[in-house]
Amino acid sequence: MANFLAQFLSIKNSCERVVIAVEDMSDLWPLVKKGFDERLPFKRATLNNKTRNPVSVDNLPAEFILTTDSRLRSRFPQEQLLFSFREPYATVVLVTCEDLDEFKTILKPRLKLIVQNDEREWFIVFVSRAPPHNDQASKMAKKVYAKLEVDFSSKKRERCCKLDIHGPEAAFWEDLESKITECIRNTLDRRIQFYEEEIRKLSEQRFKPVWSFCNFFILKESLAFMFEMAHLHEDSLREYDELELCYLETVNIAGKQRDFGGMEHGDDQAALLNPAKKPLTQIVQDDSFREFEFRQYLFACQAKLLFKLNRPFEVASRGFSFVISFSKALALHESILPFCIREVWIITSCLGLVNATAAHYSNGLVGPEIEKEYYRVRGELYSLCRAKFMRLAYLLGYGSAIEKSPVNSASLSMLPWPKPAVWPSMPSDASSEVLAKEKMILQATPRVKHFGIQRKLLPLEPASLLREANRRRASLSAGNVFELFDGRSTFMDGSGSDARTSPSPKLHPISMPRTNSTPGNFESSIDRPMTLTEIFVAAEHALQKTISDPGLWTSISSLEEFEQKYLELSKAAADNYHHSWWKRHGVVLDGEIAAVCFKHGNHDLAAKSYEKVCALYSGEGWEDLLADVLPNLAECQKILNDQAGYLSSCVRLLSLDKGLFLTKERQAFQSEVVRLAHSEMEHPVPLDVSSLITFSGNSGPPLELCDGDPGILSVTLWSGFPDDITLESLSLTLTATSNADEGVKAIRSSGATILNPGRNTITLSLPPQKTGSYVLGVLTGQIGHLRFRSHGSARGGPAESDDLMSYEKPTRPILKVFKPRSLVDLAAAVSSALLMNEPQWVGIIVKPLNYSLKGAVLHIDTGPGLRIEESHAIEMETYTNTSKNEDGLEDRDGDRNNASVVKEFTQLTLKDGSIELPDWASHIVSVLWIPVRAINEGLARGTSAGTVSSQRPSVVDGLRTVALKLEFGVSHNQIFERTIAVHFTNPFHVSTRVADKCSDGTLLLQVILHSQVKAPLTIHDAWLDLQDGFAHGDRGDGRPTPAFFPLVVPSASKAGILFSISLGTTTTEDEAKVLNPDTILNIRYKIAGERSLGSHTPMSVGSNGTEDDATQLLTFRSALVLQRPVLEPCLAVGFLPLPSDGLRVGQLFTMKWRVERLKYLEEENNDEVLYEVNANSENWMIAGRKRGHVPLSAKQGSRIEISILCVPLAAGYVRPPQLELPNIGGANISCNPAGPHLVCVFPPPLSSSFCIPA
Amino acid sequence: MFNSQAKFGSTESANLSVTEKMIVCIAVVGHQNNPLYIQSFTEADDALKLHHIVHCSLDVVDERVNNPKKSGPMLNETFLGLLYPTENYKVYGYLTNTKVKFILVTTDLDVRDADVRNFFRRFHSAYLDAVSNPFHVPGKKITSKTFAERVSTIVKSFSFNTTG
Repeated sequence: MANFLAQFLSIKNSCERVVIAVEDMSDLWPLVKKGFDERLPFKRATLNNKTRNPVSVDNLPAEFILTTDSRLRSRFPQEQLLFSFREPYATVVLVTCEDLDEFKTILKPRLKLIVQNDEREWFIVFVSRAPPHNDQASKMAKKVYAKLEVDFSSKKRERCCKLDIHGPEAAFWEDLESKITECIRNTLDRRIQFYEEEIRKLSEQRFKPVWSFCNFFILKESLAFMFEMAHLHEDSLREYDELELCYLETVNIAGKQRDFGGMEHGDDQAALLNPAKKPLTQIVQDDSFREFEFRQYLFACQAKLLFKLNRPFEVASRGFSFVISFSKALALHESILPFCIREVWIITSCLGLVNATAAHYSNGLVGPEIEKEYYRVRGELYSLCRAKFMRLAYLLGYGSAIEKSPVNSASLSMLPWPKPAVWPSMPSDASSEVLAKEKMILQATPRVKHFGIQRKLLPLEPASLLREANRRRASLSAGNVFELFDGRSTFMDGSGSDARTSPSPKLHPISMPRTNSTPGNFESSIDRPMTLTEIFVAAEHALQKTISDPGLWTSISSLEEFEQKYLELSKAAADNYHHSWWKRHGVVLDGEIAAVCFKHGNHDLAAKSYEKVCALYSGEGWEDLLADVLPNLAECQKILNDQAGYLSSCVRLLSLDKGLFLTKERQAFQSEVVRLAHSEMEHPVPLDVSSLITFSGNSGPPLELCDGDPGILSVTLWSGFPDDITLESLSLTLTATSNADEGVKAIRSSGATILNPGRNTITLSLPPQKTGSYVLGVLTGQIGHLRFRSHGSARGGPAESDDLMSYEKPTRPILKVFKPRSLVDLAAAVSSALLMNEPQWVGIIVKPLNYSLKGAVLHIDTGPGLRIEESHAIEMETYTNTSKNEDGLEDRDGDRNNASVVKEFTQLTLKDGSIELPDWASHIVSVLWIPVRAINEGLARGTSAGTVSSQRPSVVDGLRTVALKLEFGVSHNQIFERTIAVHFTNPFHVSTRVADKCSDGTLLLQVILHSQVKAPLTIHDAWLDLQDGFAHGDRGDGRPTPAFFPLVVPSASKAGILFSISLGTTTTEDEAKVLNPDTILNIRYKIAGERSLGSHTPMSVGSNGTEDDATQLLTFRSALVLQRPVLEPCLAVGFLPLPSDGLRVGQLFTMKWRVERLKYLEEENNDEVLYEVNANSENWMIAGRKRGHVPLSAKQGSRIEISILCVPLAAGYVRPPQLELPNIGGANISCNPAGPHLVCVFPPPLSSSFCIPA
Repeated sequence: MFNSQAKFGSTESANLSVTEKMIVCIAVVGHQNNPLYIQSFTEADDALKLHHIVHCSLDVVDERVNNPKKSGPMLNETFLGLLYPTENYKVYGYLTNTKVKFILVTTDLDVRDADVRNFFRRFHSAYLDAVSNPFHVPGKKITSKTFAERVSTIVKSFSFNTTG
C-alpha cells in the first residue's frame, strides 16, 4: 500500500471541503445553484464525533458538485473505499414534474434507480415552478409532491422536500440544511466506522514484520483529515496524537536501522509549525518515515489543529516538551548530524513557537491560571533559546561577552559540548580570521569587579573546550600537549579546572613563544592540537554551513549583533516570566539584562534591575547570591553618584555573612563608607545600619532607678565593621513600654566613640526619666557628616548573619524607673517637751528608705522663737531604737541589727544653714542632734491654786518649728522637705495658794511646782522676790529652810514649797523692786534628763564639769500674783439683787452694780471710773452704754450705781454680765460675789396664742 | 608527554562518568524561602550556580503550593516530584508539613521517582534529627556537622544505589 502514499497526498491536497453531490434530473441546477450556494458554509450543523456524541459544528464548509462533474467520475472502487473521505457525503436529487402520469411513468423509475445504491445518503428536492397565481399548476405540483412523498419517504426518514421557486422559501432552506446535515452525519458515521475497523485491523498486526507504518499512516491521517474537513478538530487532534504515539513506539524498534534525517540544507530551521515544509514523499523510507522530519510534521499538524481550536497555550506547552524530547533525539544522532544542528534547531524552534503562539494569542481569552502558565512556557522557551544561543556564541569566541553569572553558569556549565563525530577543523585559508579572532579576544577586557573583589569566575563550559575539541579531532598528534595550555586558555575557561588538573604547568616556561598562530607555523603542523582561537574559527566555519537562516547567522556574526540578540532574548524571557508565577526566574534574568546595560554604560537601567535582583535575594536571605550581585549594584550607584544608595549598598555588603568576603574586601567596603561619610555629601541622608551595628542592653536585670534620678546606662554594641570605626556621636532612644504616646527620649553619649569589631560596651549618662519601664529604641549617631540609625537589636549573642527574622522588638526592658515613693523620712526623735530658754538638743531621725543618702545635704531653718546655738557643733550618731516594740520578733531583729551596726558618731558644722550628712549615714538610720534654744521673752506666770485650768499657759506658746529640707540623690535631685514641731516648756508650772494665815499676820504661801518635763529635776535653791505690799516673814531673805534642798522633783510630779510672807510695805529702797508689780519666784535647779527622751541638761552646762557649781544650776523665774486681803481693796463692786420674780427669756430687766470707794488712793487723782460691761452675746442682749466713765468722788465711802438694761436670750443657768473696771488693777477690787456666779433664767412664758387648736 | 596525555584523557572520562550520574546539590529551604542548608557535591567551585538553581526552583514549589487546583491530588503528598524538566539536570522537591522545602539537584537524568522519594524520606529523618537538637535555633541555618556528615552519607548511598 506504500505506493498509495503519493496518491493519498495528492488527493488530500486537492480535497478541501465536504462534498455534496447534486443529481440534477430535470436541469434545475442552474436555476437553484445560486440559492444553494448561498447556504454555504452551513452555519450550524450537528455531527457525531468518534465516540458517537453529538457535536455542534459552526460554519461547516461544503461544496455542491454535480454528479456529472469530472471530479466525481472516473474513480476506481478501491480508491473510493480507501479515500472515501473525499467522496460525496450527501446526494441531493433535484426533480420537478407537473404531471402525475409523467411522474409515475418516467420520473419514478429513474429515481428508484438512483436511490437504490445504499452507500449513498440521498434525498429528493422537488422544485415547483408553478407561479403562485396559477392555482391549477400549484395544485398539480402539490399532488405530484404528495405522491413523491408517499413513494420515497418512509416513517423513519423524511427524504423529500419541496422548493417553491416563486413562493416563500424560508422553511425550505432550513429543511434542506437539516436534511443535508443529516446525510453528512450519517455518511460520516459510516466512514468513521470503516476507517476504525481498518485501523484496528492494521494495529493488530503492528508487530509483525510485514507491517507498514505508511499504510497505517494513510488510514490514520485519512481519518484525521476527514475529521478536520468536518471541523471536528478535537477528534482530528486525537488521531494525530495516536499517530505520534504509534510512531514513537515503532520507530525505534531495534533491527530497523533507518536514517534519522536532518542532513539536508535547511533542516536546521525547525519545521514544527509548518506541515508542508517538506513533502512526505521525500521523507519516506522503507515503509516508514525519517524521524527528524516526520516528528516535526506530526507536531505541525497538531499545532495547526490546536490553533484552529484556539488553544495557542497548548501549542506552546506541547511545543516546549516537544523541543525538549526532540532535543534528546537529536543528541542521540548528534555524531552524524551537521555540527551544532541541535542547538540551531532548538533556537529556531523556540523562536518559531513563541512567535506563532503570540500571533494566535490574545489576552483574556483564557483564565488567569492558564494565562500565567502560558507566559511561563514562553519564558521557558525564550530561556532555552537563550541558553543555546549563548552556547553557539561561546563556540564562536564570544564567551568573554557572556556574563559569568550563576544563571548563565547553571544553564551552560551542565550542558554538554556538541559531540560531532569529528570536531570541525580549520579551513586552510582561515589564518587571517584566526588573527582577527585572536585580536578580538585580546581586546575584550575582563570585567574587574568593584572593591577589588577577586572571585573565581563561574564556569560557562561543562569541560574545557580546548580539550574537548582536540579530543574529538580525527587525528591528533600528542606530541605537543602542552600547547593545549596556552596562556589564553585559562583566561577563556575561567573555570580553573585546568589549573588544577593540568600536569604541572609550572614546568613550562611562561615565556613560551606564542607563534603557533602565525600562518607558517600553522600550515606546517596541521595535525597538532588546535588552539582555542582556531577552534573558534573552525566552529564558525562549520556553523556557517549548518545555519541556513540568514537572520540567525547575522545575529552571531559579530559581537555587537550577538549582544543585541542576547539582550533581546533575555528581555523577552524576563518579561514572560514576570507575567507568570515564576517571578524569581524573571528577576534573575533582569540581572543579566542589567549586566549588559552596565557594559554599555546604561547605568541607570542597570542599577534599577540590579536593585530588583538584590531585593529578591536579600528578601529571602540568599546571601551567597546576593554577595554576587550586590557589588555590581554598588558600582552602578557609585557611577551614578547615588551616594545614598551606594552607602546603603556598602553597608549591606558589610552586613553580609563574614565568610562571603575576604577581610581585605570588607575593609574596602568600610573605607568607602568612611570616605563618603567624611566627604561633603550633596544630599545627606540618614543611613540605616540596622544590620551592621546592633545593640542590646547588658544581660542581667534592667537598670533600676527611682523617680527623678539620673543614672548611667551600659549598652552593648556589636559592630559588623571589619576595622575600628569612629562614631562622632552616638545617641540611643528609650521607648516606654507602658505608654506608647510618650515621646521617645534620646540619650546621647558625649564625645566620639570608637567601636572595635565585635562586641563593645558603651556607657551613656541617663538624665532623669519618667516613671515606667523602658526598652531600647533606635540607635542614631554620626560617622563623619553622615547620620546613621540602627533599629537592630542583637539579643545577647553576636549579630546573626541571618537577620531575616531578627527584626522583632526586644521585649526585655533595659531600664525601670519606679513610681515616686518616699525615699527618706525625717522625724523628731523626741516627742516630749524641751526646756524653754535653755540650749537644748533637738533630735531628728534621718531614715533612708532603701535609698542611699550619700552626699545628702540637709538645710535647717528654724522658725520664729527658735535659734540654733552656733557655738555647738551638730552631732550625728547611729540611731538605736530604745523604745520597746510590741512584737518581740522585730525587736530581736532590731537588736541583732544594732549589734552588728557599728556605732558611728560625727560632729557636723552648720554652713549657710545646711549640713552635709556623713557617708556612713547613707544607708542606716541615724539621728541628728541640733543644739537649739527656744526663746520666750515673757515670764512664766503662776496661777493661784483652784483657778480654772484655762488660765494655765497654753501649749501652743511652747511650740517651735524646724523646717528641714534634705537634698540627696546622685546629683541632689531628690528633695525631701518636712517641718518638725518641737515642743518647749518651762520646767515647772507654778501655782500658789495661801495655806494659812497666822495670827500675827504672817501668811504661809504654798508654792506648788508641777514638773512639766520628762526628767527628774533637782531644786537647789528657791526664793521669792516679793511685790510691793508684801514682805518676807521673819525678816528672812525669802528662802525656805536650806535644809530642804536639794529637792528632787521626778518627772510629771508635784512638789510644794512654803514661804512665809507678811503684808507690809516694801522696805527696800531699790527702785526696780518698787516698780515690780509681781512677785517673782526664783528657782535654781538642775535637770537630769536624757536628750533621747526629752528635756535634758543644757549642753553649755553639762559639759562644763561634774562639780556642783552654781554655774551648773539653771534658774527658773516665775511671776506670781499675790492678792491683798479682802479689806484692802480700794474699790468694791457689788452685784445688786435681781428682780424677785426671776428672769425670763425676752423679759427686759435692769441689772445694777454698785461701786463703792473703800479707801482713798493717792495715785488715783481723778474722780472718774472707767467701767466696762462684758456679757456673752449669745446669752444676753444689752442696751445702753457698755463702756464709759462714771463720776466717782475720790472720797472714801463714795458710791455710785451703774445700771444697764438687759434681755436674757437663753434659758438656764447662765453667767450674768459682769462689770469690770479696766483702769484699776485686779488686786484693788473686791468683788461681791467674789467669784464667777450663775443666774437662773426661765424660759419665756407660754403664749396661748400658739396653743389655739387649728 | 604521550603518557600524560593518555592519562589525562582517561581521568577526564572517569570524571565525567562520575559527575554525570550524581546528586550535585541538596538544599533545605525554610518556610520563608530562606536557605537553611545548602550543600553542593561538585568538585568545581561553582556552588553559586547551584544556589541559583535551588533558588529558582522555589518558583515551581510556590506555584504548586499556591495553586491547589493544579496540584489537587498532591495536597497530602510531601514529595513534590520533578520540578524542572530541563535538558541537563533534574530538580526534585519535597515539602514538609512545616513548609520546609528540600530541593535536590541531580545530573542523573534517568533517575527513578521511587529512588528520589526514598532519598527524601531518609533526608527528612536526618533533618528532623538535626532540628530536634536543642541548640538549634528554628529558622536559622543548620550548622550541625553531624547533619552534614549524615547527608553526605545519604547522598553517596543514593548515587551508589542508582548507578550501581
